[in-house]
Amino acid sequence: MTRGADPADRGTVYVAATGTALPGEPVDNAALGRMLGVGEEWIDLFVGTRTRHFGWDPVTGEVRGSLAGLCAEAGARAMGAAGLGPADIEFVVLATATPDLLLPSTASEVADRLGLDHLPVYQLQAGCSGAVQALDLGRTLILGGRRAGLVLGGDVTHRFLSPRRDTARMPTEELVNYVLFGDGAGAAVLTDEPEGERVAVRAVLNSWTGRGRPPGQLLDWYGTTDRDSERPMLAEDYKAIEEHVPAISVEIFWELLDGLGWSLDDIGFLLPPQLSGRMTARIVERLPAGPAREISCVAETGNTGNALPFLQLERLLPELATGDRALALCVESSRWIRAGFALEKV
Amino acid sequence: MGDIAVVGIDCTFPGAAGVRAYWDLLMRGGAGTGPVPGQRWEARDFPAVSGSGGFIDDADVFDSDFFSVTPREAAAMDPHHRLLLPCAWRALEDSGRAPGDLAGTETGVFVGVMGGEWGRLTMSDLARVTPLLGAGSSAGMAANRISYHFNLTGPSLAVDTACSSSLVAVHLAANSLLAGECDTALAGGVNIVLSPSLGMVYGQLGLAAADGRCKPFSADADGIGRSDGVGLVVLRRLEDALADGRRIYAVLRGSAVNQDGRSNGVIAPNRWSQQRVLNSAYRRAGVTPDRVAFVEAHGTGTVLGDAIECAALGAVHGVPRDTPCAIGSVKGNLGHTEGAAGIAGFIKTVLALHHRIVPASLFAARENPQLRLGERGMRLLKSPMRLPRGESLAGVSSFGMGGTNAHAVLGSAPPTPRPAASTGARGGAARDAVGVFTVSGDTPEALLRNLAAQAEAVAGRPRGGAAALCWSSNRVKTGLPYRFAAPVRDTDELVAALRRAATPQEEPGSAGRPWGRPVVAFLFTGQGSEFPGMTAGLHRESPAYRRHLAEADAAIAAHLGESVSELILSGDERVHRPEFAQPALFAVGYALARTLTSLGITPAAVLGHSLGEYAAAVTAGALDLAEAARLVVRRGALTAELPAGGAMIAVAAGPEEFADLLAGEPGTVVAALNGPADTLLSGPREALERIGRELTGRGVRVGPLPAPYAFHSPLMAPAAAALRTETVPCAPPAIPVASTRHGRILRHEPMDAGYWADQIEEPVLMDTALGALALDVAPTHLIEIGPRGQLLRIAARGGRVPGAEHLHPAPGAGATGQELAETVAALYRGGLEPRWEELYAPEQRIVEPLAPYVFSAEQRHWDRQAFVSTAGPVARPPVVPPVPPEPGPDPVAPVARADDPVLEAVVQAVTEVGGYPPERVVREARFYEDLGFDSVMIMQLKNQVEARLPRVGEVSVQQMLPALRSVGSLAAFLDDMLLARSA
Repeated sequence: MTRGADPADRGTVYVAATGTALPGEPVDNAALGRMLGVGEEWIDLFVGTRTRHFGWDPVTGEVRGSLAGLCAEAGARAMGAAGLGPADIEFVVLATATPDLLLPSTASEVADRLGLDHLPVYQLQAGCSGAVQALDLGRTLILGGRRAGLVLGGDVTHRFLSPRRDTARMPTEELVNYVLFGDGAGAAVLTDEPEGERVAVRAVLNSWTGRGRPPGQLLDWYGTTDRDSERPMLAEDYKAIEEHVPAISVEIFWELLDGLGWSLDDIGFLLPPQLSGRMTARIVERLPAGPAREISCVAETGNTGNALPFLQLERLLPELATGDRALALCVESSRWIRAGFALEKV
Repeated sequence: MGDIAVVGIDCTFPGAAGVRAYWDLLMRGGAGTGPVPGQRWEARDFPAVSGSGGFIDDADVFDSDFFSVTPREAAAMDPHHRLLLPCAWRALEDSGRAPGDLAGTETGVFVGVMGGEWGRLTMSDLARVTPLLGAGSSAGMAANRISYHFNLTGPSLAVDTACSSSLVAVHLAANSLLAGECDTALAGGVNIVLSPSLGMVYGQLGLAAADGRCKPFSADADGIGRSDGVGLVVLRRLEDALADGRRIYAVLRGSAVNQDGRSNGVIAPNRWSQQRVLNSAYRRAGVTPDRVAFVEAHGTGTVLGDAIECAALGAVHGVPRDTPCAIGSVKGNLGHTEGAAGIAGFIKTVLALHHRIVPASLFAARENPQLRLGERGMRLLKSPMRLPRGESLAGVSSFGMGGTNAHAVLGSAPPTPRPAASTGARGGAARDAVGVFTVSGDTPEALLRNLAAQAEAVAGRPRGGAAALCWSSNRVKTGLPYRFAAPVRDTDELVAALRRAATPQEEPGSAGRPWGRPVVAFLFTGQGSEFPGMTAGLHRESPAYRRHLAEADAAIAAHLGESVSELILSGDERVHRPEFAQPALFAVGYALARTLTSLGITPAAVLGHSLGEYAAAVTAGALDLAEAARLVVRRGALTAELPAGGAMIAVAAGPEEFADLLAGEPGTVVAALNGPADTLLSGPREALERIGRELTGRGVRVGPLPAPYAFHSPLMAPAAAALRTETVPCAPPAIPVASTRHGRILRHEPMDAGYWADQIEEPVLMDTALGALALDVAPTHLIEIGPRGQLLRIAARGGRVPGAEHLHPAPGAGATGQELAETVAALYRGGLEPRWEELYAPEQRIVEPLAPYVFSAEQRHWDRQAFVSTAGPVARPPVVPPVPPEPGPDPVAPVARADDPVLEAVVQAVTEVGGYPPERVVREARFYEDLGFDSVMIMQLKNQVEARLPRVGEVSVQQMLPALRSVGSLAAFLDDMLLARSA
């Protein structure tokens, strides 16, 4: 132990509670395989994700909910678990790659649904690292004097995936998106004093490192001038991801640990990047071995982008005992953002 | 001064029907002022009075049926009183309790009203005076009517200090609470602009704003615009509110009232008195003025009034302070609501503290520079002000024309610790906890209306768990005759259930009116219903079931040597062996029954099938838990020691149909007579197989039972003999036991060793026991107490208890807490008042705000002619309100009046006295509950009846009283009188 836990530590931000929302019943690989006309085993073998949730009907494609609805559910659950009402919340930060509209922002819609008013509301355009970016900004706002706020992350897939008749002819790199991703949202209430779950945020790492590097992931959008374009709206450079993400994860791991002066044995729980069941396993293999228990969700939830770290946090919190420490790692391959955070229950 | 919590609010102000609408109006800087509605008076007839002001919509609406007020009385009621009654209902609901729960309590009612214009207007024409008008003409009745209709027996008074009336009412209510005079108080005020008269007075005094709008502290301020308003708050001592887990909007820290005394004219404001009342309120609250972040000023927008008030405010608040004291006045939004002015400002301030933001004051942009607010340490709120973290303090001022001043000091609600948030550990895919959502209404239409309102309100919330909403609905939305209840887990399910039920004719199962209490029989299932993991789902979800299974477990473990609940829940296959099956089933039966009784479901009778009689005996009070546990473990062990070779089969025929076969197979016997064609046989396996083949050949359905023992046959003799040697302390059952040993209700026979020994070798007389149970208690509901459905099917096949609803809280392997919740919901619909708290874990028992009750807007009463008769608008006769025909309590019995002259005369008399439309006065209509009769009306009724039925002669009220249950019972009584007189 390099640093004692000081409950009244000034300059520390705390996670008081989390909340999550996943739409509908889980869609398993058998159902997905039927929809896509591919074998269940193929999904198991190459992706390793068993279930995911969609806010749209996998058969008809009917869209049943919005990102704002999911985020509001997650936010309300987090506020309820923290025992805070709308008047207690002093800011909202929402991270997503797939907002419902460009304007008004999904963050403002969520604030309205939660009964919040007269407070700063931010929306971050981000991918897998968005939750950490939201946490980073939320932490800054608390350190700037706010008492409590809500950070959220979530993504929905209906604009990029839909039941299609021609999946048989879909190239594998496009097909894989269908089996990788899922819809979901998560939220955390941050406070300036230990409340609720009393989990101190000991460090946040959030660093863009994409200079001169081609994107590993692309999410495009189109409008009136190019709506008939045939270019892919969703693309991933799997080779690059497979090559770089595990290595970057190791670097994030050490950067957080060394920054805090923690040793391998200090960490009880590890929240690794959640790309897919297979990729996450591959990343964990590369990380230095220690006593930390892995907390992952991607095999059950699919890759829910900005929601992932919140989904992991919700699984982590019931396990954390006072004094336990956890490390979360996140790599956004769009343009290589390194992110992560360190937690300690006080 | 002690702290007083504001726990409930309701209000209606111009442009803002309800608390939520009021807050929205304030936050968007809206105004509720508009032209004078034609219903009040024709603006052109009174050019001296501003043609606009603040008027609430539907000031003429009154759901008189809801409050059991006759249409005639409703029409003769002061509109102030009519508006207060529904307002009080909604405010009490908002405080987190069903208003009916307060009946008989010493709850206080303190209502500010100004003037008494209605009495003056209606009683001045002496030719029109009636008792009903007389009863309504006193302002004091404003509070007294609330006390009467809600049956509140604490202090009840109207307060008239002119424009400060309603804040003085709050002050008096707080003092009454602190003095221990009452534990809950309703406080507030009401004001309806009935006529232009006071507006003319203001005009003559030079106090009337030309545009009918108050412009507080503005350079444009030119006087008062008059307005309607009604608002009530529910107050409790802070410690009581906290102990009771109420939602607290804000805390009244202290208040003060004083008088100008002999000042500069009786209606002139006095700066020094205002300063004194501010200071004494702060002193009583124990705060210094520099800590006060905001003052809701009286702020009428008269030049002199604003100047004097700002001088006083400045003198008190202009002390060295970090930030200026913000001020504003809601009169910019509403106008001057006079008797309701103080409560308008009070509610605004309470909501500001609750939402942690103070709305802007209208007309502040052109602040009157002569008020020198900045120099005086004050700031007029030109934009909303977010309040900082922690406790904020705010003041509210209200000054009366006659010099009675009031000031109240409010603080933010204390942070309330939440119960340990195990809800946070929902961990991904875990389901939300189940609850039962309840809605009730006074008529079928009212129920539908309120189901729709609840659906709309819940649909506006983010999706989430519904348990806390359910718990809140159980506390608030119960108590009216027509009931809805449905088990739900999340808000999506809840909205869907409410919408389904709100569509008439669909799903008649989820709503209805019970006419009595449900009569419940518990049927305890016997051996054969056990399976590994039985009731595990219920155990996961129901805290009550967990608790009671643990009790049974502890009692059994002493004799069994291991935890039977662990054995059950772990899915251990040993549960099929009799030495475990019997204690396990007993534990489940005991825990299920106790779970139900702890929920308030008390059986009228119990019945146990074979082994089920043990848990039934405990439930009936014949055996105690420890004794029964010991016996069951012994019985199980004895059964296990029996030699193998026995078996049982089920035969879909009565024993008379195969007596020959039984006679031909020695050792085979009838083990159970479950129904007329529902028989179990016991005996040696081979013999039973032969009988089975023969019966199948005769076309009779036969099925084997899993039991490897010949229960209830001579083969049980060794076990029976051993049981007979036990010493069994037992008591006479406190609840009737339909004994399946005897096939009838148990009389004086003790449930002793002999009983239990006989019980294991004698046949189970289920069919006759069920018949006796039906005859003895006539159950409306049969509840199966076992892990899998058996007895309800037997009861259904036998048809001994036709019409009874069948419920099963644990029907098989898929059962969760859902079925238990549905059981409670069904019984609530059937008339039960469950102990709802047992259905919820402590962390789910959180008060959630619910949409207020929606009253009927069908009935309207407004007699403009009576209020405003000066000018010459076309006289409109008083309208007898159209009352929609409503089916009586028993719609299946139509009234045949034509051939029943006595009934017809009674109906006419009631119609005359109550002012009801004749179709409302059905035979079943009850005088007190349905028709709202009181002693005065009964006197009138007697006179009417005597006049219409001269042949009956004189009837004393004493004679009539016992017959005054319903219209029909009075008619029957009079019929008898006629008969007697003619004899």
